[in-house]
Amino acid sequence: MRLTIDGVACEAEAGEFVKAVAERAGITIPSICHHSALPGLAACRLCLVEATPAGKRTEVVTSCVYPVSEGLQVVTMSERIQRLRRTVLKLLICRAPAAEGRLAEYCQEYGVQNNFTPPDPDEKCILCGLCVKACEELGPAAIATVMRGVDKQIQSAFAEAPTDCIGCSSCAKVCPTGKISCTDDGESRVIWGKRFHLEKCPVCGRPFATSEELAWLTHRQVGESLDLTLCPSCRAQQAAKQSVRG
Amino acid sequence: MVEKTEAEQIQEIIQHYPGQRRHALAAMQDMQHCFNYLPRAGLVALAEHMHCPLVQLYSMATFYKALSLKPKGRHIIKVCDGTACHIKGSMSMIDGVQRHLKISPGDVSADGQFSVETVNCLGTCALAPVLLVDEKHFGKVTLGQLPQVIDSYKPGGGNDG
Ligand code: SF4
Ligand code: SF4
Ligand code: FES
Repeated sequence: MRLTIDGVACEAEAGEFVKAVAERAGITIPSICHHSALPGLAACRLCLVEATPAGKRTEVVTSCVYPVSEGLQVVTMSERIQRLRRTVLKLLICRAPAAEGRLAEYCQEYGVQNNFTPPDPDEKCILCGLCVKACEELGPAAIATVMRGVDKQIQSAFAEAPTDCIGCSSCAKVCPTGKISCTDDGESRVIWGKRFHLEKCPVCGRPFATSEELAWLTHRQVGESLDLTLCPSCRAQQAAKQSVRG
Repeated sequence: MVEKTEAEQIQEIIQHYPGQRRHALAAMQDMQHCFNYLPRAGLVALAEHMHCPLVQLYSMATFYKALSLKPKGRHIIKVCDGTACHIKGSMSMIDGVQRHLKISPGDVSADGQFSVETVNCLGTCALAPVLLVDEKHFGKVTLGQLPQVIDSYKPGGGNDG
């Protein structure tokens, strides 16, 4: 299937999304809430582009979840898009003035200042939901969006240290704003107010996973053929040696 | 008759539904109806029965206004503060309820009889200002009638039951 993005002819498979195709062609589209390993949530609204499907009118769409079509024409930057992205950035930075990472960079790039009085000057979370998706896909679904409207937030059940959390830190790793704190001290990890023991790799001695995470992987049989007592890099080395030995 | 324990009542409610997540909201509504709130043990048991993470039920319980994690009063007074009621003086109505029961919106009266909430429109603007007590509408209420309406829901009052 053929489409053009900023005048560049691109090839794509049906079912692909515009943002991914653009990136393959070396065209970057700003985004905060997108993670290539997780389904698109279209929450941050920064990846807005103008899309004109063959024979149809131009629409403004979120490119991270907008499917390609034959003859689609996409413009990733225009005056209109610039204006819309600035508005989106103004709202995001007002909601999460303390956000780490790309948000502040985009604000600078688009010349956006936080002119509103933020409801919470220490807030980092933009409520993109990536952490929740990550925990649903990789973990036990220990966190979710709770409450609604202005009180909406990411929480564990009853806002207590979640009993089902396995301390895998996937949520903290995908979070684009540094909201979820996760501290490792070599022996243990603290995340969501819960302390986990870190298992050390018997080969290199590096702490690499929590006991609960290993138990979870074994239970889900993700590691059926893997030696889960080793850290991923020692595991890879061992596998390489074995394949050389054949 | 022997009173059923809370745990028994919870089991009765959740066993009524197949163990699938799509029935969670209905079961939570039943629990809310039975206990006037969602007991924590109820959510935990329901999560187990529906094979669904507890936090997802907690998420629903905190999202829907009809569900509550804290006990509500036996009677729920909803004061409409939609546009029409607002113009017709719903603010002083809210004040009046507050003064009469000595509680603010969102609270439960000390005797556990009443919860007060404000809502954004009851869809009966022609009757503004409107008050809903449990399922019953009171239209064109005046501040003077308010104590009488509320008191009729107190134990022994005409509307209590
Ligand atoms: S650390 Fe806990 S909450 Fe975060 S993704 Fe892993 S299991 Fe879920
Ligand atoms: S905590 Fe991070 S990943 Fe989760 S919703 Fe907030 S910003 Fe997104
Ligand atoms: S990346 Fe598309 S909406 Fe956030």
